[in-house]
Amino acid sequence: MRLAGLLALYLAGPAFGQTVVTSPAPERVGVTVYRDQSRGDARPQRQWLNGYALISETRTIAIPEGESELRFEGVASGIVPQSAIVGGIPEGLLERNRDALLLSAGSLVDRTLGQRVSLRRTDRATGKVTEQEAVVRTGSDGGVVLQTAAGVEALRCTGLAETLVYDRVPAGLSARPTLSVRVRARQPLNAAVTLSYLATGFDWQADYVALLSPDERTVQLQAWLTLASTDETSFVGATTQAVAGRVNRERTEVPPVSAPPLRLQCWPAATTTALVRGPDSEFYADSESFPVPPPPPPPPPPMAADIVVTGARIMAERERLGDLQLYRIPEPVTVAAKAQKQVGLIDQPTVRVHPVYRFFFDAEDSDSDEEGQLVLRSQNRASEGLGLPLPAGNLVLFATGANRPLMIGEGSVRDTAVGEKVEVNVATAGGVRARLGGEGSERHLLTLTNDRSVPVAVEVELGRDDGVSIDAPKLTRRDGKLMWLVTVPANGTATLAYRIRR
Amino acid sequence: MRLLVALMAATAAPLSAQSPQAIPAPTASAQGDVAVTIYNNDLALVQDRRDLALPTGRSRQEFPDVSARIRAETVTLTGAGIGIVEQNFDYDLLSPSALMQKAVGETITLVRVNPATGAETRERARVLAANGGVVLQIGERIEVLRDDGLPVRVIFDKVPEGLRPRPTLSVTLTAPRGGRQPVTLTYLTPGLAWNADYVALFDEAAGRMDVQGWITLNNRSGTAYRNADVVLVAGAVGTAEQRSRYPSPPSSGDVMAAGTETANRARVGDFYLYPLPQRTTIAQAQQKQVSFLDVSGTPAARAYEYRNPWLGTTEQPVSANSVLRFSTASRQGLGDALPAGTVRVYQRDSRGTPQFVGESRIGHTPMGSDLGLTTGQAFDIKVQPTVTERTRLSSDGSRWRTTMRYRLTNASPRAVTVDLLQDGLWGDTRIVSESQTSERRSAGTAVWRVAVPANGEATVTATFDTRF
Repeated sequence: MRLAGLLALYLAGPAFGQTVVTSPAPERVGVTVYRDQSRGDARPQRQWLNGYALISETRTIAIPEGESELRFEGVASGIVPQSAIVGGIPEGLLERNRDALLLSAGSLVDRTLGQRVSLRRTDRATGKVTEQEAVVRTGSDGGVVLQTAAGVEALRCTGLAETLVYDRVPAGLSARPTLSVRVRARQPLNAAVTLSYLATGFDWQADYVALLSPDERTVQLQAWLTLASTDETSFVGATTQAVAGRVNRERTEVPPVSAPPLRLQCWPAATTTALVRGPDSEFYADSESFPVPPPPPPPPPPMAADIVVTGARIMAERERLGDLQLYRIPEPVTVAAKAQKQVGLIDQPTVRVHPVYRFFFDAEDSDSDEEGQLVLRSQNRASEGLGLPLPAGNLVLFATGANRPLMIGEGSVRDTAVGEKVEVNVATAGGVRARLGGEGSERHLLTLTNDRSVPVAVEVELGRDDGVSIDAPKLTRRDGKLMWLVTVPANGTATLAYRIRR
Repeated sequence: MRLLVALMAATAAPLSAQSPQAIPAPTASAQGDVAVTIYNNDLALVQDRRDLALPTGRSRQEFPDVSARIRAETVTLTGAGIGIVEQNFDYDLLSPSALMQKAVGETITLVRVNPATGAETRERARVLAANGGVVLQIGERIEVLRDDGLPVRVIFDKVPEGLRPRPTLSVTLTAPRGGRQPVTLTYLTPGLAWNADYVALFDEAAGRMDVQGWITLNNRSGTAYRNADVVLVAGAVGTAEQRSRYPSPPSSGDVMAAGTETANRARVGDFYLYPLPQRTTIAQAQQKQVSFLDVSGTPAARAYEYRNPWLGTTEQPVSANSVLRFSTASRQGLGDALPAGTVRVYQRDSRGTPQFVGESRIGHTPMGSDLGLTTGQAFDIKVQPTVTERTRLSSDGSRWRTTMRYRLTNASPRAVTVDLLQDGLWGDTRIVSESQTSERRSAGTAVWRVAVPANGEATVTATFDTRF
């Protein structure tokens, strides 16, 4: 028994004269999710999230006197180790380390090179197990050569059931990349250690659902904060935030994880009869000893499941963070591994909107036919029923008809500050059309047609080259552009005749 | 329990019959007193002082535990009175296949195992060939190894000379006297690199920030360096290959004014040296960080900048860049030279938790420099540039008159000043009129410093007379 105790001590210390304190998981954790800046209007791909998160953890760790190593387990698998900040260690933080050489079938062999292992053979006929000492003479890449009492042999080239048995895990190998700090304390103490770091594999966006009123003058606007994680670690009871705005990121290289597989190769093994191998054909060991990736998560529930929710009980709280907007989920939630979560972000019951059909023509074009682009326009002001920062995201527009909500358009919202105009391009309208015809290169006629039973507002932008001018009394200038702003009557038409001068 | 005892016994006292060679203790290394100098450009100089037991006269010495990516041609070995005959770098690696190839013509032992009874029969065989399959001569018979698929153990008498588990450096040297003596091995290796990482906690209300600097070094050289004395050199030393390729210095685009002060750090020539305060072990595949800078309460300010290209006009307002300005001077600054790296900026939220607000890369920055780091774009501060008028002045089209309007909006509750830059004013360009006076930062760029009130907006208009 005393021997076993000795052995346990011996296994515990990876480096001599240093104790190891392992903190398995954080006690309190905060997760702040940042968007993928390069995604544009596209929705986040749940399998491949390119945003990131700031994880802030608090752990209580008993630091022993003298020099010791504190290992932080249960951190996000996408940790960017160089971004880590360790606080709360009052003195003597010597260095931070992150080891990327993992425990694997290959690293076991590599780290026992020149050392003694046990070679275990099991007789297939009798089940008799024999163990003998062996010394590893090669690394993991290209077959294992062993030195035994009999001489020099190669592992698994015999057709026998044989394997290596190790007496311990070599020092410094863990299952996952582990962040650790080396500290020196004058006296033992209980420290509340804070650890914060950036981690990849998160993303979020706002998902707007707008229900258009029958008179098409207002929408009921709701938004969900949708955040997702592809990380392997779940953060339970996390204070969760999301940050809107454009945050600069540099290309950061995370040192790759090194987990060498065991590649067992033998000498040339061709036979005179290249037949199907017998039952012991596994003497080429399976080198793919990595865990099989988990199956992809099930497809998301259909949108309709979200739509029927008419009001979120929990709404994210907003505050200003420097030049960004911070949205905080007011109570702790679990940011689960490989999962998506939605909470209410915005609920504005009556937002005044102006649906406008928009066209763009090259003024010198003489034969062109276009369908109108339906744009929902509003001002981000309290007087319009808005007046709050709108983070970028997707917008789905519904209208009521046939006793059910019908989706009539989908567009994207950009980051919109208070006071800005809001424009969302939601649909292409087949019934509101424009036709541009010309006689020669000077006289042009633009005809708008409306098949709807209500009058519609139309904006036509006429593009032209520098130095070209257009004669038409009805045109207005807006932001340096020539526009024709007109209301087309119900089931009616409107026309514009103009002349080009160079 | 019995197994444990057996293992312990085995570790403690190896049986001499089973250990033809000495087996090193689990964490022992052949390395001696190691000093590592690491440069920024994936290059390190390793100096390894070992005590070797040398015989008098000529001998061949192997040096295990050198970098797996050693540049063997840069190896030098020095010791008192020691003369070098030759240096070899052998990379004929031991594997089952190489073992069999080297056994061609030799005699090996076969142990046939009866699959039904497990009974072993032993015989000697000569390897005739190892091409495709292994052809053996057993007495008068010729056989192909394991042609019948039955289990056969192949036992070689010894590991052939010259086959090694890892590429190995060996030096043949002459020593004037025998006995233990120190020799110094020096070589260059890629796979070790470092840069700096900075954590800046910005207190916007107080206009101050706390900065911590960390040296981040990575070891991908395939070898651990035990208890090493580490010095980091801020700079990329030119290597022979690079000199011919016109190396470009690391970008330092955020330096607004380069400094002229000398930092209180050790330096060699143009390079600053950052020695690690104590010896450390750099494990393989490890990233190690050691603090080198900790400054509190440096003055810092938030500024805004929008740069418009020539004839730039946008459909929607665009966010202005949010820039963090500070100095590395000894007065009112960080008071140090900054090695190249990434600055990550944090600000506290309403609950006091630091939140990440952006990062920016800096080049090697001398002390006394003024820095402006773009950390992101402001959500609430936007600019919409518009070309409102563009007319040809002369009939031959040689001059144009362009009127621009810039609308700056501020949805935040505090007044800000935005540096509005108009680029592309090359050649004999003239600003005919402008709603406020601009400053020419360079020949091609005009700058307006525009005050935008809290929850308000400001407009700048300007008319340019250009050739294009």
